Amino acid sequence: MQTFITQSYAQTVALGEKIGRTLKGGEVLAFFGGMGMGKTAFVTGVAKGMGIDCEVSSPTFAIVNVYGKNAELCHFDMYRVDSWEDLDSTGFFEYMDAGSVLCVEWSENIENALPKDAVRITIELGNTENERIIHIDGWEGKA
Amino acid sequence: MTIFALDCAGATAGAALLGDGVLLGESFTHVPLTHSQTLLSMAQELLENCRIQPNDIDIFAVTNGPGSFTGVRIGVAAIKGMADAAAKPCFAVSALEAAAYAHRHFDGVVCAVMDARRDQVYTACFQKGERLTEDKAMSLADLAESLKAFSLPVLLTGDGTQKAVEYLPSRLEQPCFAADEPLRFLRASSVACLAAKKLEAGESPVPAGSLLPMYLRLPQAERELNNKQKELQKKEQIK
Repeated sequence: MQTFITQSYAQTVALGEKIGRTLKGGEVLAFFGGMGMGKTAFVTGVAKGMGIDCEVSSPTFAIVNVYGKNAELCHFDMYRVDSWEDLDSTGFFEYMDAGSVLCVEWSENIENALPKDAVRITIELGNTENERIIHIDGWEGKA
Repeated sequence: MTIFALDCAGATAGAALLGDGVLLGESFTHVPLTHSQTLLSMAQELLENCRIQPNDIDIFAVTNGPGSFTGVRIGVAAIKGMADAAAKPCFAVSALEAAAYAHRHFDGVVCAVMDARRDQVYTACFQKGERLTEDKAMSLADLAESLKAFSLPVLLTGDGTQKAVEYLPSRLEQPCFAADEPLRFLRASSVACLAAKKLEAGESPVPAGSLLPMYLRLPQAERELNNKQKELQKKEQIK
């Protein structure tokens, strides 16, 4: 497990970008942590690192936002998903099988459907308003 | 009698038109995550190329599962919309039965397998067009066990063929091999032919509103999706 401390939105994006650059496709980044923690900022960085030119927004209402020409990045919000039927209907497994990178917010809700090699990212509040403590488990790269 | 069939229950998508038992035209693609974008344009182009108007279609047919949850929903929703607009009835066809259809003259067991993720498949066995086993979701290990009982050569077909052929042959005593590429995947023409057979056998098609998807529950779904639910259940039990 690696722990990072970021002091601003821009630093959180930059950390996401570093991880995004190391992804090959098919990885699952599972996010844990409540609202306003900067998960969407992190995913914005991941998209950037993967070379996808897009505006990342929270998938709270859509449940999944798909980015890239061939759905290279799928950004899920599992807040309202609470059954296997719900999960199936999001296309989660199809995107995973197709080799997309999946960024999954509210992974708590689908913990038992996450693959064993999922990269687990937990974001906590730091000591100041903008400080974030980011624990990353299962990522082989270096930031 | 004109039958229009769609399939996108698995990795492939297709549309076919059968006029008085003759295959008039067929489209097929094998590109993941595109079914919702390609299915309707495929259908429209097929109808135009075959010079058939939607109102000329007498019966609509679709694979209603088992298969990809999203794919089944796309196919069933599309055919319901088309059949309802044309005020014509529909037949639902098992995706596994349709995958096996092209191999009904094979001298042995035709084992249709659709990929159900991880080491699981949706599967059913057929012999000379007759069904031997019901559509089921199971692990490849359980499928190997159930195939041993037949002691006949096994032909694998369907979008789970590759996965199955990597696992099964070394675990079976009888020969077990994969269908060749052109006949490996489910074809919408098989769906149309099976709908025609149903009609011949006296089965009545249903109104669009009554057509339903058929999902098979995977063994993994017996577990709780999250640990929170498990804790809640424990609390309920304690109460």
